[in-house]
Amino acid sequence: MTTRGMKGSATEISRRNLLVAGAVAGAAGLPRIAEAQRGGGGRIVFANGSAYDTMDPHATFDVGRVAYRLNCYDGLMRWVDNPPKLEPWLAESYTTSEDGKTYTFKLRQGVTFHDGAPLTAEDVVYSMERILAVKKGAYPLFAPLVAPGSTKALDRHTVQFNLTTPSAIFAATTHDIYVVNSALLKRNERDGDWGQAFIGRNDAGSGSYIIRRFDPARGFLAQRFDNHFLGPAGVAEIDFRYVAEVNSRVLGLIRGDFQGTDPYMPQDQITRLQGDSNLNVMEAESTRLFYSCIHNQRAPMNDVNFRKALCYSFDYDGWINNILGGSVVRNTGVVPNPMWGAPKDLAGYTYDIDKAKWHLARVQAPMREIVVAGMIGYEQSIQAASLLQNGLTRAGIQSRLLNEPWPVVSNKMRDPEQMYDLLFLWRSTYYADPHNWAGEILHTERHRGGNASYYSNPEVDRLLEEALATPDQAKRAPLYEQVARISSEDAAAIFIHNTKWYGPFRKNVSGVRFCPIGDGQEMRWLSIA
Amino acid sequence: MKILVLVVNRVIWFVPTLLGLLAIVFFISHVIPADPAAFAAGENASAATIAEMRARLGLDQPLHIQFLRYVQSILTGDMGRSIYTGRPVSEDLLSRLPATLELTLVTVVIATLIGVPLGVISALRRNSWLDHGLRFVTIAGLAIASFWFAILLQLFFSMRLGITPLTGRVEGWGPEPITGFYVIDSLINWDMETLLDAFHHMILPVATLALPAAATIVRFTRAGVLNALESNYVLYETAMGYPRRQIVWKYVLRNALIGTVTQIGLIFGILLAGAVVVEAVFDWPGLGMFAVNSILNSDYNAVMGFTLIAGTMFIVVNLLVDILQGLIDPRETR
Repeated sequence: MTTRGMKGSATEISRRNLLVAGAVAGAAGLPRIAEAQRGGGGRIVFANGSAYDTMDPHATFDVGRVAYRLNCYDGLMRWVDNPPKLEPWLAESYTTSEDGKTYTFKLRQGVTFHDGAPLTAEDVVYSMERILAVKKGAYPLFAPLVAPGSTKALDRHTVQFNLTTPSAIFAATTHDIYVVNSALLKRNERDGDWGQAFIGRNDAGSGSYIIRRFDPARGFLAQRFDNHFLGPAGVAEIDFRYVAEVNSRVLGLIRGDFQGTDPYMPQDQITRLQGDSNLNVMEAESTRLFYSCIHNQRAPMNDVNFRKALCYSFDYDGWINNILGGSVVRNTGVVPNPMWGAPKDLAGYTYDIDKAKWHLARVQAPMREIVVAGMIGYEQSIQAASLLQNGLTRAGIQSRLLNEPWPVVSNKMRDPEQMYDLLFLWRSTYYADPHNWAGEILHTERHRGGNASYYSNPEVDRLLEEALATPDQAKRAPLYEQVARISSEDAAAIFIHNTKWYGPFRKNVSGVRFCPIGDGQEMRWLSIA
Repeated sequence: MKILVLVVNRVIWFVPTLLGLLAIVFFISHVIPADPAAFAAGENASAATIAEMRARLGLDQPLHIQFLRYVQSILTGDMGRSIYTGRPVSEDLLSRLPATLELTLVTVVIATLIGVPLGVISALRRNSWLDHGLRFVTIAGLAIASFWFAILLQLFFSMRLGITPLTGRVEGWGPEPITGFYVIDSLINWDMETLLDAFHHMILPVATLALPAAATIVRFTRAGVLNALESNYVLYETAMGYPRRQIVWKYVLRNALIGTVTQIGLIFGILLAGAVVVEAVFDWPGLGMFAVNSILNSDYNAVMGFTLIAGTMFIVVNLLVDILQGLIDPRETR
């Protein structure tokens, strides 16, 4: 058995570091995180561009609605700060079996839910079973690894996960096992619904904030939970409001109606906010990869020369410096720059029409008009498609733009017959591990899923599987670096930029801690003057 | 009696009209190449998970079977569950309906109170500077994009002068809903502060919606009054020495209002279903935003539920318009 402490950095995590950090945390009695905590007063209104449709922590997985999951519920572990560090949360330590299939977590003692009930291993087991039963939210993350009924409560504060296959990323995903009050949900179950009707509108968590009011059309009102195991959060009350229109969020922030807002807005609005002396627009390099899928299995894209011609036809500098005003960072490979496993010397492709023509001349298959797709409602995706079309025309490739809404796009991505020739999109951070990008975007098993390029390379598959079965980060990193190099040489996709995060807050708000997982929406660190 | 016959006649037509509307929307929305099962299953879902979700939602059945099942469940009062929110569609709709209805009713009342008198005055002072000025304002009101006008109002009254709220229905979370209509709820609770706050928050959204609505009413009333003023009975009444005010406001207006009332009914229906832009800009938690999100998410049950509610209200409003026309002009009931 390998014992693991609870602090892991995404950039410098290793087995040895984990052991040392765990010992330090254990000696202090509480993790380092707790030292920053203090109670305080005040109220914050946070305007969010995505609607909070439900309060069920197991029903959603997207970043747009992460606030209620992060602030009202706790997971076994939690990712904090940037670069992301895996910190202790409900669990205080865990062990992994030699075969990498059994994870045993020791829970922190004395944790209570908002109604005062103690949080035990049985609640963790119930939460895992509930995720597998309702089949929403983080279900796709755990379904391949955890069989229903396989999770055991060894005692009141020890829970054991028995995986179907070894997984080096399991611990990194346990922040998504949000633990719910099993007794409360069982009392409110209707027709075996796992309490979905109840928890969709009501609170059943142990997190830093309690859900006091919820209106799907408006948002939710959260009140500080003073008995949280890390101590009370900094702000007494937070009004999480759904404000669909970007301009209304921006004006509300300038006027002081809102104290913070989500960062999903066009660059001109960010620039507008940066110019306001009452606001503080925080900036950090995130790990959200912008790229274009290339349908690797359809002619002429099944010829590596054609794919390279595509890669040389995109004006990376023009895109980053002119269109996006330098607000993003060039990312040449499949793994975002700040992550371990991203090769620092990967040159990638440049905008070079002569090279594009050189590769094009070596393509065997007959030329045809190719379809370049963008997503309606996501301006950057559409703009990038237009920019590529300009380069393609100069290189001598005929193309047609097609913009469709996300439900249509996501449907076509899952069918190789319907999938576009090229499609511009993002890959967000669900857990801070290179597998979140390389494994999802490139592995053959992820065809009809995250691998919408339908890219397939047996060597890449082998490296990814080896990395997944290897627990030691030091040994995993070179495997992902190799994957990044091979996929770049294969021109598996057009890797373009890594996103920067802009967190606009009023100046009287302090303590914001950005983490790519959760997009800086963990509010317990905030305070307001 | 004739009014009663009219009502019965309209009610008989209500069911096939609504059924036809549902069928059209159902089949059109299912032709769109989007997969709600894939959307509901999430970004990382495997093909097997999506297939499972599709079966669970009944989307693997032939289209006509899906439609029959839907109509059956509607007849038992069940609109189904939203694929996206997981809640009963009726619950989602009813929680948003009061916000939209309140905004629409206040807008229609304000637009009518402004539009009808201005239409009459415009007709009485035909081709005067006042008439030209009103023509300019009404044409501009019809031409201006509501999205742009709403932002202009926000920038001037909320940001520059700071005298109106920027967004929302009330400050903070407002009262615990009883009916969901904040005006009615605050009156029930005798909470004058909330009542005033609710009206304060309505100023800009109502102004945005009322401008084109009032413009339409002005134009139709003006045309109706001008038409009526040229009638023989007006000439006769004038010749008989009836006071001008009595002729205009008692006899002319009654005849002129028939077209205006029809327009007010149409405006009401358009506002109910089409206030989405104003709801988005002013963060007004109504049906419009819900409908747009449902369409974007291919949330079939929610789209159908919205269609059912909007269609029903449209038919009911038109029935009321017919009754009102019958009362104004008994010839309409023949």
